[in-house]
Amino acid sequence: MARKVALIGTAAIPVGRHQSAEDEPLQVLEAEILSRLAALALADAGVEKSDIGSMVFSLPRPYTRQKYFATFMANYLRVSCSGTVMEVLGNGMTGGFAFDMAANDILLGRAKVALALGINMESATASGEHMMSSMRATGDVDFHSSAGFTPIAWYAMDAMRYMHEFGATRAELASIAVKNRAHAEHNPMAQYRKPITLEQVLAQRPIVEPLGLYEVPPRGDGAACLVLADEDTARALGRPYALVSGRGFHHEGAHQISEVPNDMIAFESARRAAATAYAEAGVSAADLDFAEIYAPCTIVEALVTEAIGLVPRGQGAAAAAAGETRLGGRIPVCTSGGLLSRGHPAYVTPLYGYIEAAEQLRGRAGARQVPGARLGAVTCELGNYNAALVHVLEAR
Amino acid sequence: MTASPMSLEILRMPGTRAYPPRESVFTQPFWQALGEGRLQTSCCRACAQLAFPPRPICPHCWALEPGWSALDKRGHLYSWTRIHAAPLAFAAEAPYAVGIVDLRQGIRLACRLIDRPLAPAVGAEVELLALVYEDGPLLGARVVAPPPEPAA
Repeated sequence: MARKVALIGTAAIPVGRHQSAEDEPLQVLEAEILSRLAALALADAGVEKSDIGSMVFSLPRPYTRQKYFATFMANYLRVSCSGTVMEVLGNGMTGGFAFDMAANDILLGRAKVALALGINMESATASGEHMMSSMRATGDVDFHSSAGFTPIAWYAMDAMRYMHEFGATRAELASIAVKNRAHAEHNPMAQYRKPITLEQVLAQRPIVEPLGLYEVPPRGDGAACLVLADEDTARALGRPYALVSGRGFHHEGAHQISEVPNDMIAFESARRAAATAYAEAGVSAADLDFAEIYAPCTIVEALVTEAIGLVPRGQGAAAAAAGETRLGGRIPVCTSGGLLSRGHPAYVTPLYGYIEAAEQLRGRAGARQVPGARLGAVTCELGNYNAALVHVLEAR
Repeated sequence: MTASPMSLEILRMPGTRAYPPRESVFTQPFWQALGEGRLQTSCCRACAQLAFPPRPICPHCWALEPGWSALDKRGHLYSWTRIHAAPLAFAAEAPYAVGIVDLRQGIRLACRLIDRPLAPAVGAEVELLALVYEDGPLLGARVVAPPPEPAA
């Protein structure tokens, strides 16, 4: 029988402001945070340090002083590996690739236990300065950055187009931020937990029209460590785990925009990646108990719920406004609070997505628990969902 | 307004570009032409397809050494936004509008949107223009007519 991968242990810090300013006398050191999480995650999993065969790190931000972070950490934690020790980078999908590469080492038989881990520190760098870097990450640095395009400007244009094509309202989109904040209230890992109202969301200052402050991602720091294992190892431990039963990826060969006109808000990559993941897991979208979606803006959650088949085309915002995607609704989405409220420490954000899925599937989500959750999907992306990575996880 | 759809209106802009594009031996003809009010892009000699931004390989068939082809400046607005939270280099210009334009020739591109009207309608008819700063040009677009009435 084909080998399968299980997510057996997790640890993270609450998303928030952790990075110290340059001039503070005592500095927060990345290795100190992440090493503690590795120990906690290993204890959560119930495996030994000597079981670790691979470690895949998300690349730290350029603001992290220590370079060659993965091999530095291998020494710091004194882990010797015969699988892989490396750092990966893939835009917002970075944490997803760390998970995927760690899983691959298990599937290939190179490791029985693999860590997917990382730390993203950026909050001490002012937004305007950070954006001088992030604006180079989307579109063409010569043709688009020169015009002042920013990463979330592309999502804003999705929103403008979506409202035009489907008649979605500002209030329907804004309701997604309200819903996610209500979820985050119950998540100790969330950056923003105080409930907000629709009126408050709509009254925020514009950031990228039509989206205001509460509909775009906050900036924050985060760190997480996930322990993956082959299913035999997971089963032998005798504890609940999350089985990775399906995986799909698609890149449509565009970077925010292609000169060949297409339907930019269909999120074709998400549709195809989800179809692949569902097929491998032998399930359909209707079988899911929840979905943890990578959505930096309200509009993105609306479009992804459509693309991965949770709601009909053009109904994502309306379905959210009607309560279908909230806890207790037909298909809860982003029970963690999502990127808008749990937070978005970009290079590790997907790791928090898998953690939320594991919490739900291991029945540990407390007041935000989806009753009887057995099957969930986790998505992440790069570009304007020009690429999507979708995993289906099952309770075992 | 210029008469030919192949000829861009030149709008003189104060100061220099906030984040100037790099030019290469290959892309220099594009920027030089834009500065003179002409829009052109790379066109594959093998499969005849246009690419934008211009590049020395055809993204469709990977043929090398493309030629240049003039582009019609007319199109419509696929979408747009106005950016209020800007990178440091653009802070003095904020808020500013940008948009995605579908040209009649089937090419989609994204550029700065000249800010009239204040809230352009998706689907509006637009024309590209050359924004010529002291140090060189950028591509821009301007709304020239509201969206065409849908067919009855």
